[in-house]
Amino acid sequence: MRGGWVRFAGLLLALGAFAYGWRVTGIDLREVATNAHLIRPLVRDLVRPEVLERVPRVQEAHVPVALGAPPPPLPAARGPRVEVSSRSVRVGEAVVLRGEGFAPQRPGRVVWRDATGAPAPLAEFTTDTLGRFELAVRVPDTLGDRGAFHVTVSLPEMTWRTSETLRLVAERMVETVFLALMGTAMGVVFAVPLSFLGAKNLAHGPVGLAVYGASRTVLNVFRSVEPLILATVFAVWVGIGPFAGVLALGVHSVASLGKLYSEAIEAIDPGPIEAVEATGASRLQVVRYAVIPQIVPQFIAFTIYRWDINVRMSTVIGFVGGGGIGFLLMQYINLLLWQKAATAVWAITLVVALMDYLSAKVRERVV
Amino acid sequence: MRVEHLTKVYPGGVRALDDVSFEVARGEFVVVIGLSGSGKSTLLRCINRLVEPTSGRVWVDGVEVTALDREGVRRLRREVGMIFQQFNLVKRMPVLTNVLTGRLGYTPPWWALVNYWPPELIEQALRNLERVGIRDKAYVRADQLSGGQQQRVGIARALMQEPKLILADEPVASLDPATSHSVLRYVEELNRKEGITVLCSLHFLSLARRYGTRVIALKEGRVVFDGTPAEIDARRFREIYGEDAVEVEIA
Repeated sequence: MRGGWVRFAGLLLALGAFAYGWRVTGIDLREVATNAHLIRPLVRDLVRPEVLERVPRVQEAHVPVALGAPPPPLPAARGPRVEVSSRSVRVGEAVVLRGEGFAPQRPGRVVWRDATGAPAPLAEFTTDTLGRFELAVRVPDTLGDRGAFHVTVSLPEMTWRTSETLRLVAERMVETVFLALMGTAMGVVFAVPLSFLGAKNLAHGPVGLAVYGASRTVLNVFRSVEPLILATVFAVWVGIGPFAGVLALGVHSVASLGKLYSEAIEAIDPGPIEAVEATGASRLQVVRYAVIPQIVPQFIAFTIYRWDINVRMSTVIGFVGGGGIGFLLMQYINLLLWQKAATAVWAITLVVALMDYLSAKVRERVV
Repeated sequence: MRVEHLTKVYPGGVRALDDVSFEVARGEFVVVIGLSGSGKSTLLRCINRLVEPTSGRVWVDGVEVTALDREGVRRLRREVGMIFQQFNLVKRMPVLTNVLTGRLGYTPPWWALVNYWPPELIEQALRNLERVGIRDKAYVRADQLSGGQQQRVGIARALMQEPKLILADEPVASLDPATSHSVLRYVEELNRKEGITVLCSLHFLSLARRYGTRVIALKEGRVVFDGTPAEIDARRFREIYGEDAVEVEIA
């Protein structure tokens, strides 16, 4: 009978907790339905990421010039061609550009590129009925002793090419994967020695046990700090960018790998250790011949798994200044560029799924 | 080899050995029998100090083992071969490397860092594998071998130590009867031909009778019998194994 009362009181308590939770977290299911229109554009953009873009086909030609240096060789001309009145120029000098072999009566642009490749738009024009143009321009302020006039004439037909966004996303994705790799590598370098110190079965005597306790404490403290917080700290410390992300993931990886490694060491078969000890081997020899062969497969598996997790984490770490794709995604979201954001989200999903699959495959093989 | 008043009390109060004393002459094949938990394993491990005795003394070849420091223990261990019930091979390493580990007590530690073994040691390891009839398995991973083969690797490993004494802790308890005999015959051969003293714990009295030149029986950590195998009659048998025991022949 008493059991019944306890159960009833427990039920009331649970109901009370649930009701309170409902109220403080502001759960309002009506909003889910009535405000659905607010996210419609977002969802619409999410399903059409910027992968390819339709751009006019173009004709291109350029002519290199020198500023106080011997003029560089002319590019081999096939198809459209550009000439310049003088190939040895000074900043501010007026020169005449003549082009031929372009499509007739099409708009074109002239862009100046200096040695760094940074583009400076100079002029726009339209080709004549024979596909020629003649144009006076001034050499802009420039760095270095070299530059070139680049001419582009757009054609009426359109073509597909990979979007600028996709290229940027791909670049940042590669950065993210390597960010995760470097973070994992940093984790491995410190976690391996720590894991041996933090394995109870290898700790002998009071000194060994003290070292064991100390390394376990260090690992536990580091592990309890979220990588997101670490990234915020490191972004202040070393500046926003992938390096902050590497440090954040690295510190977190030391802690989590150290724990996994030392548990792998603790789980090994003590028999071979006893046998090798019984031959009169030293501690180093025992570790080399009885411990290491038993833990290598697990160490490899855990490391790959950690890399996989780190790729996933580094996307989030980017949001707080840790570089990589996350940083780009956050910028897109803040600027409400949902289609670009969608491109990044899809790229993350794809790469994470791929890493997940590959790491599972590799782990299957080594264990 | 001499054992005097050897006592081992484990933390938690289990008295595994209780005032055990005996002496073994060079070249004897001494079988230690007794029920599980009678202290056989502890006794063997106190002799090379894998287990630290609580009190008492052990001498091996005129050296007081129980008085040795760490380095001394290491030097003693390299001359005492040990064979285990579970073979205790490193499963992921090749058989040859497992055999070579028997020599670790003699090789410089830094060789281990690069897994270096001089050709003459590899030659010696192959010869020892030859002696136990599995030279062709030298480059196979240890876990690919059958139980009997693994135990023969264990014997080859002990042989690498060129031991004066072999401690065998239930070497055949994980093997079937036929394999048990083949393994014990290798141990017997070492005892007879090389004069290596053997201290071997066994479960089956029939095996003890067949291979031992002398039998020591332990019961609850005490020596309850010390004599030749022939002296163990039905009465003695019941003293060692308890009233309800029945002797099992192992073919």
